[in-house]
Amino acid sequence: MEEALRHNRVLPALMLASLAAWLGGDLVSVAANRIVPGEGVATLDAIGWGGILAGTLAMLTVAVLGFRPSPVKYRTALIVTVAILMSLPAVLALAAARLADADMPQARLGIGPGFWIVLFMSLLTMIELRTRVGVSRFNGWALMLPVLLSWWLCLSWWLAPLALLQEFRGRSDQFVSAVLYHLALVGAAVGTSLVLGVALALAMRRFPTLQRAGFGVLNFLQTIPSLALFGLLLAPLAWLSANVEWLSAIGVRGIGWAPALIALVGYSLLPMVRNTFVALSEVDPGVIESARGMGMSRRQVFLQVRLPLALPVVIEGVRITTVQAIGLAAVAALIGAGGLGGFIFQGLGQAAMDLVLLGALPILGMALMADALLGAVSERLRPGGVK
Amino acid sequence: MIELFDVTRRFGDETAVDAISLRVESGELCALVGTSGCGKSTTLRMINRLIEHSEGEIHIDGQPIRRFKEDALRRRIGYVIQSTGLFPHWTVARNIGLVPRLLKWSAERIESRVEELMALLGLPRETFADKYPHQLSGGQAQRVGVARALAADPDILLMDEPFGALDPITREALQDELREVQARLHKTIVFVTHDMDEALRLADKLVVMDAGRIVQQGTPLELLHEPATPFVESMLGGDDRGLKEASLVRVGERMLPLGPRLIATARVHRDATLRQALAVMFREHADRLTVIDDEDMPVGELSLRRLVGNTRHE
Repeated sequence: MEEALRHNRVLPALMLASLAAWLGGDLVSVAANRIVPGEGVATLDAIGWGGILAGTLAMLTVAVLGFRPSPVKYRTALIVTVAILMSLPAVLALAAARLADADMPQARLGIGPGFWIVLFMSLLTMIELRTRVGVSRFNGWALMLPVLLSWWLCLSWWLAPLALLQEFRGRSDQFVSAVLYHLALVGAAVGTSLVLGVALALAMRRFPTLQRAGFGVLNFLQTIPSLALFGLLLAPLAWLSANVEWLSAIGVRGIGWAPALIALVGYSLLPMVRNTFVALSEVDPGVIESARGMGMSRRQVFLQVRLPLALPVVIEGVRITTVQAIGLAAVAALIGAGGLGGFIFQGLGQAAMDLVLLGALPILGMALMADALLGAVSERLRPGGVK
Repeated sequence: MIELFDVTRRFGDETAVDAISLRVESGELCALVGTSGCGKSTTLRMINRLIEHSEGEIHIDGQPIRRFKEDALRRRIGYVIQSTGLFPHWTVARNIGLVPRLLKWSAERIESRVEELMALLGLPRETFADKYPHQLSGGQAQRVGVARALAADPDILLMDEPFGALDPITREALQDELREVQARLHKTIVFVTHDMDEALRLADKLVVMDAGRIVQQGTPLELLHEPATPFVESMLGGDDRGLKEASLVRVGERMLPLGPRLIATARVHRDATLRQALAVMFREHADRLTVIDDEDMPVGELSLRRLVGNTRHE
């Protein structure tokens, strides 16, 4: 037990795994064109002795700082980790420059498993160190800023041969509209389910008999696989579209955004209703009693006491719902709803993994950002400010 | 003045409060004492209509309470509960200013009132005004609770086991403070507690309840001298009730004034209770004490005989 307190075992574990991938895995892959599979290139061949030594040294430093840690050591390790994350795109750029072949202008640079593992382990290390150093959520994002900046710089200047970027170049307009469409779909779904969810939660509090039936239906909805739900909605929506004029006028069809939105709202309702309901019900009864006893009207009690105290947990519900909807909206591409899922399924169809990544990475990024943003809002709203 | 006439409260088939009648005079602190579930809290909460009475009438200053709007009635009555019920998302100052704000006082008036109350309850403004409830100790939080109840200067204060969750030392300190505040403000207070010592210390009038009925009411001394039933006697501590009485009487009331005929080395202050005097005697193996005043000057003598109230042979 004492041993465990004295040493941080997470840091060496993560960094040694990262180091193994760095030294033993394929850092990048090179393909002559889009169709042929790429050939793996080890780190040494990709960036040479100088680069490999610098990386090894940095990772070992963080690993060693995990022994007999102190606040100063943690802080140092955090700085080194941020430096690693900042130099990773430069590593790619260096590999691109070194592996460039004048005879093969069509050559594409793929990101290899070694690189992914190093990236992933370094991110985990950063999360671990952020909690150890006690960085607030807000400052945590400030830390990410130089990392993102470095990635953005390298991507826009030195990483032209990167396959991912080439896939993007071919579809930059499509990409932007897909991102916007994805966001709009998620926004509409979360907005609708927030309104419906809060209304439903309030109704359940007013009429307790509604509780069991309501949660029963919502739980059932949650168990239907998303693809099946899209399929189930196809027929009734097609029928409605054919028979109700104004519905077809606003674009409701058996496929497309309408079934996607309905399904997303259906899945979003349960976490939304549950969080809102629990949040409103679990406000300290003593607080409510004293509010009533002091002569606040029911309306005042709700607006000035119950709601503000419940809000952080309600926002938690919005957070869970949003992250879930961002992922689910990708599947909606299968029924012609478009969005980033389109790239994923297109890429799967063409066995072009970089196209899949072009769809998947922004979804990941959006989910992480929504999670962090709403998490920070919920934290801010905790009673008594920062707690 | 609060009057209850044959007040009954039923929950379904259960009768929680059974035809009780009670009169609390203005400026009086009336303690409702009983075991859990005896109906004392229900009785208290019927006065501010958090619970409606099923039968009978409750009057405040001669007016039936149903004549007032619920919220208006409650804003005229201070309310303190055991869990304090402070709003966790509001600062101390905002919590205290709650009722004045509901009554739409001006901002300056609220501010000066909050300041006044914080001073009254020993909460320095600079330290506490901007704190949140979770940053306070139990005793501080309950002081804020009392300040909040007093904010709009209500004539009536209802307190539901306000000190029940505090440690014994803090509880005694707050009891003393309540006594001081009450000596200054003369509120009409109904105080619910299951702690008989607390009731004896604070109450002008003591009401013992059992199973929804009032078993006995009177001054603490009346109850101690003549408990009406074995239940009241056991509530008062059985054989210990002599000691409880001793803690209600001050040394000054029993001592033999004039200078001491024999200088006893053991001393006791004039304002100490007989119980404390007895403790000094026990500790010092003395049957006589010199009674002193604030300046440590002897003002009288207290013998064991006098202490127990036997004055025949002196």
